[in-house]
Amino acid sequence: MASADANAVSGSRLALAATYEGDDIALLERLVPLIDVIEISPDAIARSDAKRASLRREILDEYAAVAGNVNFIAHGVGLSIGSFDRWEESYLQLLDELFERFDLQWHSEHLACTVVAGENVGTMFPLPRTEEALDLVCERVTLLQERYRVPFLLEHVIHLLPDAPAEFTPAGFLNAITSRTGCGLVLDAYNLECDVFNQGLNVMAFLDELDLRPVRELHLAGGVEHNGFYLDIHSNRTRSDTLALGREIIRRAPGLQVVTFEFLKEAVSLLGHDNICAELKHLRQAIQ
Amino acid sequence: MTRLELYQRGLLDLVKRRGAAPADPYLRCVAGSRELAVLQEIAVWWREFQIQAQCHFTSLLLMRLGCFHEIVTSYFNSNRTSPFIEELSLHFLKSLQRHDILLISTVAGLDLAFLEVRAGCTQCFEIVWDRHPDLLLHALDTGRDLPGAEHGFVYRMTIAGDIPGTVSCTREEDFGTARL
Repeated sequence: MASADANAVSGSRLALAATYEGDDIALLERLVPLIDVIEISPDAIARSDAKRASLRREILDEYAAVAGNVNFIAHGVGLSIGSFDRWEESYLQLLDELFERFDLQWHSEHLACTVVAGENVGTMFPLPRTEEALDLVCERVTLLQERYRVPFLLEHVIHLLPDAPAEFTPAGFLNAITSRTGCGLVLDAYNLECDVFNQGLNVMAFLDELDLRPVRELHLAGGVEHNGFYLDIHSNRTRSDTLALGREIIRRAPGLQVVTFEFLKEAVSLLGHDNICAELKHLRQAIQ
Repeated sequence: MTRLELYQRGLLDLVKRRGAAPADPYLRCVAGSRELAVLQEIAVWWREFQIQAQCHFTSLLLMRLGCFHEIVTSYFNSNRTSPFIEELSLHFLKSLQRHDILLISTVAGLDLAFLEVRAGCTQCFEIVWDRHPDLLLHALDTGRDLPGAEHGFVYRMTIAGDIPGTVSCTREEDFGTARL
């Protein structure tokens, strides 16, 4: 196992993280001096050979090479914690592999459904905010907490489709999950902006209602507008409005430890290394 | 069926444009929404992006023929697509090997053979072309006009990991060789 000084995450100053999904050593070498934490998405560094998926060894070696300088956290996409029938066991196998190789400060997943009856949906469905969904998610969160002895965090996803009939408000549903399970939260300022723009979410009322004590991580990113909708395709630098919302969350969330700049691997060529590094320097100043 | 199952199965059918119109009021509301069209578009866009990254020549050919989006959309809607790019690409290319247009199935066969060999497959792949493959691939890469079929000749290409340079190809007279 390998890790940098664990205090970099648990210390008092906010740590800065970035996503890095491998295959770009030049970018990694430029990122490491600018950040404290690398956010690893197990799904994004996996390869499947039709029998089973496994993490790409060469990318794990890239992380290992910088493990003395940064900490690691994991952020999954494919667990599908909200599927009505079962979650994706193959994702947990990837996570097991990652835990075997590195000390992870925590791991997180989207509060969503990506697989229905064994079929990948090609996107993410938010969960209906009902007692039924709450029971299902809480049971699975508890199983995750027993399986991995590090904190588990959930991230709210954007609501592109109209909301299903709900028994909870958006903040009330998250509050119910965190109070029942003790899990943490990732707040994504850009996702919230999407919900404001697309669905008319009153974000200040949301933050007023949300118990912000479980929030450990804040995501910042820039996305795209398409056909009159904000989409969570993380391919741009953070807009000033998103950063302002992020700073409001920083001000309100007493347990926040990490601020992560998220960008897709596919967007690196569009953004360019210089832009990514400039963004990280800018965020470092902005979040302190 | 629980309400959660009803919603999730219903949303999947809507995203994949299949099944009868939903009876449930919420799903009916989604079915008629502008947002659903955007979600369908994004889901296909991601598959297009992945396929372009892995199936280079096939994507270029389908785009040149103006049917890339249509074919990927149809593939996404009618198949259980893998979240893993390697599985998605292989399955997509295999689905094109039965395509009515010979050139599409041939180029898909080429991309498929390269992906398999790069992944360590020890099988030897044979692809028969009705036109000069180098000229065709160069034309796809550069945007030039595609060469036409050469009547009376075929190009027999072999792709395998144990061939020097991975590929060999011979031009042969065509005595009515069946498509491979």
